[in-house]
Amino acid sequence: MNEKILLVDDEVDFLDVLSEFLKDEGYETSTARNAQEALGTLQKDSFRLLLSDINMPGMKGFELIKKVKQLYPMMKSALITAYDVRDYINMAKNYDIGNIITKTTPFNFEEVRLLVRNIITEDIFGLEHYVKGPVNSMTIKSSNEIEQVIQKIVNAMSNARHKRKFRQALNEIIINAVYYGAKQERGDRKELWPIDVNLSPSEEVLVSWGIDDEKVGVSVMDQKGLLAKKDVLYWLERNTTKGEDGLSVGLLDDHGKGLFITRESIDRFIVNVKRGSKTEIVMLNYKEGLYDGYRPLWIQEL
Amino acid sequence: MPAFKPAITNILLVNINVDRLNEQLELHGYKPVLTPDIECIGEVDVPYSLMIINEDLIRENGAFNIEHLYFLNNNVPTAVFISDPKSVPETLLKFLSESTLEWVYSHEIESGLICSRLDKILIESCLNNNFQLLQQNHWEKEKLKKEILLRNQVLDHERELNANIAASIASGLIIIDLKGTVIMLNENARTLFKLASTDYIGSAYGNIFPVKIRTAIEDFLKKMLSGFAHHEMKKISIEDSVIEIAFYQMKDYGHTINGVLMLVNNITSQENTAQQLYRAEKLATMGTMLSGIAHELRNPLSVISARAQMALAKDAWDKAWAIKNFESIEAQTCRCATIINNLLDFARYRATQMAVHQVQKILDETLTYVEYQNSFDSIAIEKNYQEGLVIFGDHSRFVQVFLNIITNASDAMDGKGTLGIRTWSDDPAWVTVEIRDSGSGIDNKVKDKIFDPFFTTKEPGKGTGLGLAIVYKIIHESGGEVWFTSEPGNTSFFVKLPTGMKHHE
Repeated sequence: MNEKILLVDDEVDFLDVLSEFLKDEGYETSTARNAQEALGTLQKDSFRLLLSDINMPGMKGFELIKKVKQLYPMMKSALITAYDVRDYINMAKNYDIGNIITKTTPFNFEEVRLLVRNIITEDIFGLEHYVKGPVNSMTIKSSNEIEQVIQKIVNAMSNARHKRKFRQALNEIIINAVYYGAKQERGDRKELWPIDVNLSPSEEVLVSWGIDDEKVGVSVMDQKGLLAKKDVLYWLERNTTKGEDGLSVGLLDDHGKGLFITRESIDRFIVNVKRGSKTEIVMLNYKEGLYDGYRPLWIQEL
Repeated sequence: MPAFKPAITNILLVNINVDRLNEQLELHGYKPVLTPDIECIGEVDVPYSLMIINEDLIRENGAFNIEHLYFLNNNVPTAVFISDPKSVPETLLKFLSESTLEWVYSHEIESGLICSRLDKILIESCLNNNFQLLQQNHWEKEKLKKEILLRNQVLDHERELNANIAASIASGLIIIDLKGTVIMLNENARTLFKLASTDYIGSAYGNIFPVKIRTAIEDFLKKMLSGFAHHEMKKISIEDSVIEIAFYQMKDYGHTINGVLMLVNNITSQENTAQQLYRAEKLATMGTMLSGIAHELRNPLSVISARAQMALAKDAWDKAWAIKNFESIEAQTCRCATIINNLLDFARYRATQMAVHQVQKILDETLTYVEYQNSFDSIAIEKNYQEGLVIFGDHSRFVQVFLNIITNASDAMDGKGTLGIRTWSDDPAWVTVEIRDSGSGIDNKVKDKIFDPFFTTKEPGKGTGLGLAIVYKIIHESGGEVWFTSEPGNTSFFVKLPTGMKHHE
């Protein structure tokens, strides 16, 4: 039986085209033009996923999801918007929402397909899902291999734009995976982290990279699953909320800034977590000019 | 011989103050007028028929001066008062006997002879010189002379004051009487209208001023005479300058209109500053609009892109499907174009374009620029439009007015509450728009300041403080009014704008 998705948006044209696409993908869809209509539909029928616009007349997307979570705790949900996701991080944190899809131009069907699939199947780990092409992997067994791995990945990238952005992002994410993720050092006491650490087989960090027609991608995965969705949302929120001085409130935080900066500098920043088992951070960079617009929020905790 | 009494019974006593003498004079119908010294004679402002001076003054001033005085004093009979004839020097007695001067002695007072002696002096002088008539004429002339002198002084003073006022005021001052004759035109007015420095006073205004000014004067004269206007402000641009004229009706003491007073100022630089402020505020507004527009564009663009990709991915197009698909693309493309045109309309610097607009359309357009903002997420918008209302004025300025008021309203609600927008009209000439919010309200202390430029209650960086000042300016320039009522939880701004239709009386 096909999975059922309820789409909610006041943009009728958008509802129509998204619904058509998802049907082509093998889902069954219903549409609603506002929250009230959606709640009515939910009373009559059950759905696997609710995909709702944020800014609608009447009840907004966040409230709708909150209500739906209370009424139908098993149902999964995600938001979709044409607007800047950064403006909604605060709401996402307060409503504990990990997925906000963005309406990009060109429209990123591939991304919508993947997100919907990921949310429904919970089969989220592995760069293969994100890059259509051969994937190379290396395991990091000690801290002195980090630089070498980064160099290898950067070398594999043909485009200078990716090289520059990825070097910074990789540095941040891999070091955190080794020290914070694998060794569980305190994130707020980086100055105490030892220079040389060795990782046991159960601590090894897996780094994968691959390239396809549209993008390059890197995945960094530890075996601990320490990072929680609420922490990621907390740190992102600290760095997007402006204080009275106009600076982000998280500016002087000891921890969490790297995550935010990485999200800002890489086109797609995806966090997959199975608590106590693994944490994967996937970073994707599109060819220049592709899918311009805002970055989706893509955090999935199983 | 009947007792002779001159018409003027005053007798001037110079430096003589003897009680007994005063008594005697009064007893005989004379009136003593005292003056302390020869120098003070000029200050005596009553006529007198006889002057008596103290002998000491002759000794001090010399005989010549006394004779001189006699002439100066316009032949008023003059006597010298001698207290003791034995003490008077020979030379003086000789002088007295040879001069026109008479003399009286102190013992004549004691013996009561003094007044008959004075009568005699007066009668003789009268017979000799017919002096009394002369005296009267003289005093009347003197009085008249003094009065004229005084009036002239006052007039001179007033004229000077007027000239000073006319020259000192920084404005051009023009006064025209009802026949159209210029009766005042100061230096500033000459400079303002670049008139050659000839005296224009007395010329017809029609021959002096540029056409635009002439028309304005004509208009005001007409309105004033038909009772429609007491004063009026007009802005007139001549070449590169903007000139502001304040017209006032002039009335005489009987409250009859007798002319027009005009104060003229070159306000080009103020106008430029105002324009710059207006543009600065417009830029700030545009910032708000731009992000609104960017957001607005993403929706249709993503639909267009999605539709096109769907079409490209299909091997074969079902006709009905293709039509739906491309109709959607067409509609969304037009939507993008409208959004962009709105911004361009607003951004383009141009002179105000007055036209009739549907007020509902302008309000809805304005809402699209702000609704996307997070701050509107929890704000319910209640619209209550009276159908078919129009307002007359400049489209982009109206958008700016409503954008400013709505933004303030949402700020006041801090992201939660109800924004009410209501329009109505109970007079074909006017439409009123009410924008109501359920926010914190306007503090009593600042109520009279909120339309002042640079006044803001917002945090630094959040408001320019120009928003409501610009609102006020635009609405007044459009011929409308703006006011507000406020209490915590209920603040309404009312904007009353002309429809462009004449009120039918």
